Amino acid sequence: MNNADDLSVREQAARELLARYVRVVDDPDRVEEWPDLFADQAEYRVVTRENLEAGLPISVVCDDTKDRIMDRVTVIREFWGAGGRLEDRHYNQVRPRHVVGPVWTEPQEDGTVRVVANFVVWGTPTTDPAPRLLALGEYRDVVEFTARGPRFRSKWVVLDTPVLQDVFVYPL
Amino acid sequence: MASVLPRTVQGPPVPLRWPPEDNRIPREIFTDPDLFRWEMDAVFTGPVWVLVGHEAEIPQPGDYKTLSVGAVPVIVVRGADGQVRVLVNACAHRGARVVEGPRGNVLKGGFRCIYHMWTYAPDGSLLGVSLPDDFPVEFRKEDYGLPRARVALYKGLIFASFHEQTPPLEEYLAELTQGMDRVLGDGRLRYLGSIKVIFRTNWKLYVENIYDGYHVTALHTGFQVVRLRSHGGQRLVPNYERNGHLWGQSRSTRREELQPVLRDMSLFDVRTKPTTDHNMMVVFPSGVVTDYFDTIQLRYVLPLAVDQTLIEFTFFARADDPEDVVRHRVRQGPAVLGPAGAITLEDAAALERVQQSSVARGDNVILKGTPKRFPPYRHVDEAPIRHFYQAYRRLIGVPVEEGTP
Repeated sequence: MNNADDLSVREQAARELLARYVRVVDDPDRVEEWPDLFADQAEYRVVTRENLEAGLPISVVCDDTKDRIMDRVTVIREFWGAGGRLEDRHYNQVRPRHVVGPVWTEPQEDGTVRVVANFVVWGTPTTDPAPRLLALGEYRDVVEFTARGPRFRSKWVVLDTPVLQDVFVYPL
Repeated sequence: MASVLPRTVQGPPVPLRWPPEDNRIPREIFTDPDLFRWEMDAVFTGPVWVLVGHEAEIPQPGDYKTLSVGAVPVIVVRGADGQVRVLVNACAHRGARVVEGPRGNVLKGGFRCIYHMWTYAPDGSLLGVSLPDDFPVEFRKEDYGLPRARVALYKGLIFASFHEQTPPLEEYLAELTQGMDRVLGDGRLRYLGSIKVIFRTNWKLYVENIYDGYHVTALHTGFQVVRLRSHGGQRLVPNYERNGHLWGQSRSTRREELQPVLRDMSLFDVRTKPTTDHNMMVVFPSGVVTDYFDTIQLRYVLPLAVDQTLIEFTFFARADDPEDVVRHRVRQGPAVLGPAGAITLEDAAALERVQQSSVARGDNVILKGTPKRFPPYRHVDEAPIRHFYQAYRRLIGVPVEEGTP
């Protein structure tokens, strides 16, 4: 396989990882699969553009290790899941829907692929007549190729809105 | 010189039903838009000190930030002289918002209104206007500064008041200053950033939730999951005869004794304090100050509409913290006490539910701890909520009858 083919294969694999990611985070029953989309050393950050551009270190979510990424599942299922009484908690019943694209990919010299994509996340609650805008912004990701296949080394979720429109439960 | 906003209405615009028992809260007060408008005047520009920031957010001359005091948009700015002022963010000419962004520095250029190019100094005085020929002869720039609120500082906390009869700040805060001393130390902090979020609830429901010690274990199930309990504590209501602030104190289980449910338990670490004592304070009507775990946090409660409230969660380190401590605070704060925090998101859900069903009318009832009439209360009591509403009723003109504390 020549170099150009290898590049396009890696870019295609990075796009497929992003598509898989969206399938997982859109499905409240699959959040357990979410950490495996990340490499063993990885970060997941949700930041507002406002803080980012002001150089302020506070993030909305700062999962800067794989441990914290795995802990997020425990927080969603156990802390916010009311010890299994999920039906008590209507915020867990807001079904997220990611709309992602276009997707830009840029192969890097170190073998990773940078992925940048616009996203909008809508939430449809079971209780409300209208869906809600949960989040709006841009993914800035780095995909690396591990023995297990392509995985996120880093996923930055940059929110355009300085004010969060709602609280969100599942990963963006 | 502080100026005071003009007011026209002198009493509640609508007749308000209020049950005679002071532990019953009529649900209409969470849904009535006329009452909401009246609260913005009577409460937020009434004889209160509204928390609007900390000096660490605007450390340099010319630094400013924007938010609102009730419905009044304001600029909190450090002048060229170093003094902190709070200016109304509306041009004295035709009322356009003078500053757009959340924060910045105004030392060069001043605040310039885009509409007719009127320009104000950092202290709010009018520097110049465009093309002033053919203005009335009596026009004087001195008469057209941005209106200023009164400002008072405590340990770097910035308070604003639009009322001439607000008592001196330390008298207003009463023994709440002792809690602030514990949280703020010498007052020298470093600003780390803020997270803003919209809660779909009336502003009073957000604030009363902090007076409520009863919901903590019931709603915040994360505490049960890691077996975190309060080992003693109390809920005080400083200045309850007039303002009704909240000073919740609790001592939590040490991290070593928690169920290690998470791989990274630093969420519950206390590294910067000698004990696991926490303070959770409300400066009536809308300021929150806390030092939960290692998180130093202020919250500003900004009412947007009768059923929408913007909460700004603001995070700080101490000015002389080493970098590893700063990093710990950055990792812990939003993960516990932010909109995506392990023990915060549930409040948004519960309060939205209360808001949605408030149209059902009837009363919300406060029971736990109410056999006791006065503070101190136990840390698990909801009784302090009564004092919040007593203070509120004095301001909106529906005071509690004499003899019913």
